[in-house]
Order: sequence, then C-alpha cells, then structure tokens
Amino acid sequence: MIHTKKNGFVAEFKRNKALFAMAAPAIILVLVMQYLPMSGLVLAFKNYRYDLGVFRSPWNGLNNFKFLFSSGTGWLITRNTILYNLLNLITSQLLAVIIAIFLTEIHRKYVKKVSQTIILLPYFISWVVVGVFVFSIFNYETGLINTIVKATGGTPINFYQMPGAWPFIICAFNAWKWTGYNSVIYIAAITGIDDAINEAAAIDGATIFQRIRYITIPSIRPTLVTMILLQVGRILRGDFEMFYQIIGLNGQLYNATDVIDTYVFRSLVTNPDIGMTSAATFYQSVLCFVIIMVVNAIVKRVDEEYALF
Amino acid sequence: MRKGLKRFLAMASAAAMLTGTFGTAVHAADAVDTSEEVELVMYVVSDRPAGQDIVDANMNEYFKNKLNCTLKINWIGWAEYANKYPMLYSSGEQFDMAYCATWLNFANLARRGAFKDLSELLPTYAPDNYAMQSDSALAQATIDGALYAVPTLLPTYITYGPIYRGDIADEAGIEGQLDTWEKIEAYGDFIKANHPELEVIDLYQGNVELSLQWERFQGNFEIDSGNRYIFYDPSEEHPTVFPVYDDPTFGDFVDMCARWSSKGFWSMSALSDTDSTKTQNGKAALRFHNIDTWSNLCVIHPEWDFRYAPMTKDIAHLPYTQDCLVIPTTAKNPERALALWNLLTTDQEAYDNFFYGILGTTYELNDEGQFTILDPDLYQTNACWAVRTMELNRNQAGVPEYYDTVRHEWEDQIQEGVGTERFTGFVFDTTNVTTEIANCQNVRQQYGWPLELGYVDKEKGLEDYKTQMKNAGIDRIVEEAQRQLDEYLAGLEG
Repeated sequence: MIHTKKNGFVAEFKRNKALFAMAAPAIILVLVMQYLPMSGLVLAFKNYRYDLGVFRSPWNGLNNFKFLFSSGTGWLITRNTILYNLLNLITSQLLAVIIAIFLTEIHRKYVKKVSQTIILLPYFISWVVVGVFVFSIFNYETGLINTIVKATGGTPINFYQMPGAWPFIICAFNAWKWTGYNSVIYIAAITGIDDAINEAAAIDGATIFQRIRYITIPSIRPTLVTMILLQVGRILRGDFEMFYQIIGLNGQLYNATDVIDTYVFRSLVTNPDIGMTSAATFYQSVLCFVIIMVVNAIVKRVDEEYALF
Repeated sequence: MRKGLKRFLAMASAAAMLTGTFGTAVHAADAVDTSEEVELVMYVVSDRPAGQDIVDANMNEYFKNKLNCTLKINWIGWAEYANKYPMLYSSGEQFDMAYCATWLNFANLARRGAFKDLSELLPTYAPDNYAMQSDSALAQATIDGALYAVPTLLPTYITYGPIYRGDIADEAGIEGQLDTWEKIEAYGDFIKANHPELEVIDLYQGNVELSLQWERFQGNFEIDSGNRYIFYDPSEEHPTVFPVYDDPTFGDFVDMCARWSSKGFWSMSALSDTDSTKTQNGKAALRFHNIDTWSNLCVIHPEWDFRYAPMTKDIAHLPYTQDCLVIPTTAKNPERALALWNLLTTDQEAYDNFFYGILGTTYELNDEGQFTILDPDLYQTNACWAVRTMELNRNQAGVPEYYDTVRHEWEDQIQEGVGTERFTGFVFDTTNVTTEIANCQNVRQQYGWPLELGYVDKEKGLEDYKTQMKNAGIDRIVEEAQRQLDEYLAGLEG
C-alpha cells in the first residue's frame, strides 16, 4: 500500500495490468449500477417535469422535504424505523446464531436436514400471504386466538386496536421469516472451523457448552460482526412489505408501527410526486450513511480487524 | 379570471378549427397520410389476458385494411401500475397512446408535461370523435390552455349508493328501495338476527367510504376524487369549501356509525382486512358503490337479486377524464394514433374487435346485441375503457333493465350548468399544496377512518381528527380549494 503512494497510480497500473483488467468488469458494473444512479439524488431538490427530464427540471429548494417534517411525524417515523430495525436485527441474528449452533451439533443427518428445511421454509413465503395469516390469527370476530378465547369463555381481545401489542407481533414474524435464512450463513461459518480443535477440546474434557463458549462463538465472531454491520446499513429502510402487509391501512396502530417507507407510500400513493419520494429516499440514505460511519468507527476503535473499511 | 379567458380562447379557436374542418369536409382517413405502414404502441393498465395475441391478430387485420397500421397493446399489471405508470413518461420510452384517468393522476401528469397538446391534432385527425365531444368534456381535458386528452364518450355518473341483496330485502319485508339510512339500519338489524353469517356492510382496508356516501346523500360533493374529506355544496350560488367534520350533520353521522359498529354491522378489524370480494362471494350483504359495480354483481349472481338504490341527492356526470386517452410527448405517430382512435370510437366493427375480441371465440352476442364473455380466462374485455361510447358500447347479457332506465332518468334530470353538473369542469390543481395534501391524506387514514368506523370515542376522536388535520395544514388546502373554486365560477360567469 505504501508503495503505491510512492510510485503513483500509473506505475501501479503498469505493474499489475492483468489484475486491473480482471477487476475492470466489476469496477465498471459498480460505477454504472451504483454510482451513476446517485446523480438521480438531485431529484429530491427538483420540481420534476416529464417533458424537461431530471436535469432540466426547475429547482425546488427544500420544499420536497417539508411533507416529512411539517406535521411532526418525521421524528416519530424515524424513531420507529430505527427501533424496529434494531429490535429485528438483534432478535433475528441472535436466534440465527443459536439455531446454527444447535443444527451443527446435531449429528443425525436426517434430523438435521429436516429441521433445517423447516426453519428455512418461512423465507420463501411472501409477506402478502403472511399478512393473510396474521389477519386470520388476530382479527376480532373470526380470528384463531379470539375463537379460542371465546370457546373458553373469555372476552375477545381487540388486537387491531392495541398498538402496544404490535411491536412484538411484528418482531416475532420477522424472526420467524428471517432466522432460517440468516442461520445458513452461520452454519457455513461454523462448518469452517477446524474439527481438530473441537476434538482436542473434547479429549481434554471440555463439555459441549464449554466448546461452544470458547471455540464456536469466538470463531464466528468476525462473521457476526460483518453481518451486523451490513444490517446496520439497512437500518433506515423498513421492510416495507412486512409492515404494509401486516398492518395495512389500520390507522389506530400507526403511532406504534409506522415506518418511513409505509408513511411515504401512504401519503403519496394517491397523489404521487417523484420529487417528494426522492426526498424521502435521500433523507434515509443520508441518515444511513451517518449511522454506518459511526458504527464502523466504533467497531474500529474496539477491534480494527473487524471494521468494514 | 385570466385562466377562464384563456380557456375560452382555447375553446373558441378549437371551435373555429372544427367548423373549418367540417367546412371542407375532410375525413380522418383523408387527413392522415397512410402511405407508410406503422405499428402503433398503446399502454393500458390491467393484467394481460391470455388470449391477447389472437385478439391482436384479429383486430390488426381490420386496422391494416382501414388505416394501414397495426396496434400493439402493452399491459401494466395491477400489482405494479402505481410505480410503473408514471415511469412511462419519465423513462423517455417511445409509444403512441395510453389509457389515462383521473385516478391515474391525469391532471398532475399533464401539468408536469407528460402529454402532447391535442388542441389542433384532435379536430384534424379525429374529427368525428371531436364532433361528439361535449363542451364540458373538452374543458375538463384542457389544462392551462392546452387539450391534453381525448375524453371518453361514455358518460358516467357520480351516483353512489347501496348495492344490496334483493332476496334478503324481500325476506325482511322492506318496501321500495333501500334508499334511506333508516331502511339500511332495518335491513342490517334483520340480517344480524336472521343471517348472522353475513357481514352487513362490506368494508375492507382502503374502502372506507361511509362519509362520502353521507355527504353525497345530502347533495354535497368532494373537491377532488383523491381528497374525499373536503366538500362543498354545489347547490349554493357561491359554495363554501369545508372539511368533512365541519359539516353540521357530521356529529349525527359519527353517532350513527358508532351505533352500527356496536351492532356489529362491520368487523372490528375491517381496516386490516384485504378481502375486496366479500359481497361478490356472499360474505357481506351490502356495499356502497356505483351502478357499474352493481351491474357486474347482477351478472355474476343473478340468484341473489342484487338491487341498487342511488342515494345521491344531486346527480351529475363524473368528469369525462375519468377515462381518457392521452398521447405522450414522445409519440412518433400522433396523427395515425388519433385516426385510429377516431375509427375505434365511430366504427362498430373496429370497436367490437378492439373491445370484445373475436366473435364466437372470446364473446358472443344475443338477439338484443348484448354480449357474453365466453371464456373469462382467455379474454374478457379490453382495458382501454376510454374507448367506450354511448352508441357502440354493449351491455353484458344479464344486466337488469333498471340499468338502462335509471341512467336515462339521470340523463334527463341532469341540466347543463346546474347544481353539481356546473362543477364537472372543475379540476383541483394541487401543485401549491402537495405537502399539506400528503400529510392530510395520512391523517385521514390515521384518525378519520377509525372515527368513521366507530372504533374510537366520539368526543375524543373528533377532537383528535380536527387537531391533527389542522397540524397537517388542512386550512391551507381549504383556502387554496376555495380560491380555485371561486376562480372557476368567475370564469364561468365571465
């Protein structure tokens, strides 16, 4: 690295022509697919006109951002988005690690495969379908829970008017859907651990819990940290489909369940405005950027090895 | 004032052009140069039917003979239209014509420069269509002095009312139509007692239109179909615009809804229910909607004897831009596209081939000229609804006679320039209040709907609704709407 500085980019390029040639397709792809579209961010500051296009449309100052904040909802939905993502991040990753460890400790192949498949299955079910499940479990008149409650002589619970219940319901469904998928990555990391270490520990008399505590967990720590860093990058993007399909247009739950994406969708769906939607995306991206930088800096402080960059 | 003048001038010049065209008796097929064969591309919103290919082949044979062109229809599915439709115009894609509608934000797109100005093209290349257009239809399609769409020639009406089960109404001994709130309540009570398996009123998320029905029944009308919480009374000489909760009867409405909700006329979880087919599938007994929804239900379930009561005090036409055809700014062949449109809206054979498909394969006709869809999975009807006209459109076999008689009654009742009809040309321009509208839209769902469904306490719910609407900036929208409405009236008078 120090050499490059001394000799400059041209010298480096001459020395490693083949390597640069090999990297070129990837670099071009990233430039075209990731960096070029960023110029579209100017839309957030434009009063978009179809006949003038993105760049020739007149400027609009910060007007496009107003709808997020003028009625005081901006802060609420930002808070909800961040809290939901943190909660979902922690639960789904934690459960994924636990399940990965359990699955790798199961030595009967058949049991292992079957349970892994069952855990992975929810990942393939669309949120639209999950939304229907949720409605048929929780609705007041014919829902599964209330049917049981009524049969046992209790008073039915009106879940759709209890905002407090929904963070837990959403978190549970999120974990149910993603745990299996995330655990695959941890299973791969655990499978990568040298068997000899575990065998040696077993011979020395380590119990299964000691082996997990002192061998498995430290070995998958880099994977865990990377996964969390990657997830943090998405923290301002609520999983739109999940929130929209589970909550729908149920206003009474919004204060507890509204995230930036659902708010923007609902506000603009009847009167779409490209500038205003871009403004919302711009806001999310800037906040995401700040959060990633901060989290990465913290990780770097603690252990430079694990930082993303 | 200036807007009105501009519009007047635009119409005057259009009229001059019209007489000009007629004077020289130029026919569309003559006006347009058809020496070169072209393929026209049209976009419609709906899911592509399986049989579209054979229907295309059939109609293109006809078009090729008549105008030396073929038509390719591209479909934007229901699942993606909200994102994809506006994208058509921003992507710079080249196509020649598209279906548009008020609910696809015609006015908004037009103001943002998505469409070609047809002020001169339409009278020249689609003269027969142009001759049939009414003044109010053209005025609605004219924005900032330019004609941005070809409005539909099939009038539709603002009428809203209960669509209900005739078999049950007879069983309950209800006399006459179910056209008052009291009768609806009696019908509901009867159902609760005798048909507990049915939901009385069909409500699901996104379809909470009780307050709309309440206002229409009193003769009030909403300022904009996208903002159905701001109303005015069209019977007044100079109507005042007001938010729905400022209607003096709104308290009674909320009381009624609270009572109905506690009687269980609808589900306590309606706002999370996504099932939009409850009436159709025999799970609900009444739905508030328009006459076309009713006639569809009659065809599907004749055994339930669906009936319709138009609970709208002052009947008027819906804006003719409810369904319209637009030519995008990127169009290569606007002349041929309009010539084809002229053919489709005046020639029965062209219309049948385009709209119903192939006789004997996708549809058949009975002696009265009513059509039956032969295989709904193969092909139903075209999704370019703007093509329908009074003369060429056919009723589906099985639609009750009442459908035609009542529409003729309405047509007789409606007087140009009186009551709600006086305002059909009014298009609310939301440009100055986009922020407030986005916010109020949200407040209506969050605080308005639960109140309308009787889920929250009346006093507190009303208070919250008002406060939140104020915070969201409803006063500015009302002020803006009032200003535009006054200008519109001044334009009419001047």
